[in-house]
Amino acid sequence: MGEPSYPTLELSRRIGVQWPNIESTRELSGRKIGELKQLLLDLDSDDTSIVVQGSLGRGEFTNDSDIDWFLLVDGIADPHHHDVFLEADKRIIAPPVGRERIFATLVSSHDLIHNVGGDDDTNNNLTRRLLLLLESTPLTGVITHERVVKNILKRYLLEDRSFWRVDGPHIPHFLLNDFARLWRTMAVDFAYKLRARSGEKWAIRNVKLRMSRKLLYVAGLLACFHPHLLLDDPEERKRVYEEQSFQPEIIDIFHSIFSDNPLDIVATFLNKLGDDATVSQVFRAYDKFLGVLLDPKQRRHLEELPEAAADSDPIYQEARKTSHRFRDGLLDLFFGEKLYSLTRLYGVF
Amino acid sequence: MLREQPVTALELSAIRERELLPLLRSLDGLDLSQFDYISIHAPSSFSAENEGWIFGELYKCLHRGWPVVVHPDTLYDRSLWRLFGKLLCIENMDKRKGVGRTVGELNYLFTEFPEASFCLDMGHARQVDTSMTEAYRMLKHFRSRLRQVHISEVNTQNKHDHLSFVSILGFQEVTPMIPSSTPIIIESVVPEHQIGAEICRVQRALHAPAEQVEAS
Repeated sequence: MGEPSYPTLELSRRIGVQWPNIESTRELSGRKIGELKQLLLDLDSDDTSIVVQGSLGRGEFTNDSDIDWFLLVDGIADPHHHDVFLEADKRIIAPPVGRERIFATLVSSHDLIHNVGGDDDTNNNLTRRLLLLLESTPLTGVITHERVVKNILKRYLLEDRSFWRVDGPHIPHFLLNDFARLWRTMAVDFAYKLRARSGEKWAIRNVKLRMSRKLLYVAGLLACFHPHLLLDDPEERKRVYEEQSFQPEIIDIFHSIFSDNPLDIVATFLNKLGDDATVSQVFRAYDKFLGVLLDPKQRRHLEELPEAAADSDPIYQEARKTSHRFRDGLLDLFFGEKLYSLTRLYGVF
Repeated sequence: MLREQPVTALELSAIRERELLPLLRSLDGLDLSQFDYISIHAPSSFSAENEGWIFGELYKCLHRGWPVVVHPDTLYDRSLWRLFGKLLCIENMDKRKGVGRTVGELNYLFTEFPEASFCLDMGHARQVDTSMTEAYRMLKHFRSRLRQVHISEVNTQNKHDHLSFVSILGFQEVTPMIPSSTPIIIESVVPEHQIGAEICRVQRALHAPAEQVEAS
């Protein structure tokens, strides 16, 4: 087997630093995904895909992580799909994910593709759809997974009139607005869960919101800026966007971006846009956050820490400081020279 | 059946193994003068034990210069099929098959068969990816190899059906990328009296503005 290679690792090598916790969680994720693929091999079918999201989908798995998964159906409805779901559930032995178990379920592609916005686009549907783009890995049914992702992208990209305006900045507003909606929804749901669960696991949820949830938004924002950054020359941009074949091409480009996990998406962009100090600050903070999750003692401590004790708790306070360093690095990136005008125009109002 | 239709391309198909010998034996007696382009479709499924004689029978047609359309999962002994050179025409597969469904899978095959040409099956490509991105990618990556196009709707039971409104819309998204000289082989299974109507539907799928066809 050759040396592992992925954008985050390449970035660390380029700037001559190591992020050991990122590497560890990546390795653990790869191993776990390999095990699960073997376990589920005979459950593969033409029109279903068993998909993991959450930390495993992001490549940030630890030994204490939950496995968030669902059975995606993109084909004729068949009552036996429920049996596939039950069988997969038995094999994965997922601990209950949250009280709603929102990810251990059976999901139809129709809702994901057709219900974007409007009354039927529930909180769950929005979350599943966008996490399918940002942090999903198929354990079975790679073709089905790809087909659904591309059809979701097709809706966001080809139905966005302003994106295709010849003189436009070519920012996919439809998609960008939904990434912003997801981020704000996660932030609002943090407060909801705090109340609904009487503060249970408050500290760990808070740290995850500041780090891994924020990372999702950052990856989504950078992906949305990509078409504008891809073609610097306005004349060239105009010519390309007028070509009909650029429509499937742009779906393919976005599909390729989202084939990477969020950390790798950010690494790819930072490799081009960030100075080494910013890169180092963002990734060192993230590595430290993953170090907390990898350490069973610190993780359990944060899971059990009552909100009232947080202000004087050294582990929580350190995690909070790490999240501030992460945030400040991101602010330097988004309000730095290369992204300032895009952030000002599309990231604020 | 086709004499009255404006058709100049023909694929002689022996999709079932048992159809191959009767087809090949009838070739000298067929009047094919109406057609500018002829290809022959090898059986779509057979065992490795039968590969030798099937290859041998098809190879006897090499002198005719007709492309031989093959499903990649039937190419067991690759050294044999390479003997067809440019006349070997590899078709992309439907979602049930484990090979030849995507650009990645086809790339591997074309590395194995560097001279082979490509038969784009639009129905298969759409079934694999209804967003039509994969069909677009196939046309982008294998345009220089493109020898012919299969068109039909491949339904949820993997059967070739007549084009529906929705498949026409999907096909229209990529057909502008198909060179106009490319032979189009209609694989839709329709009753004889609907052949003309199906040809019109295919024309609509091939020429993006549908109203132009309807007005002509």
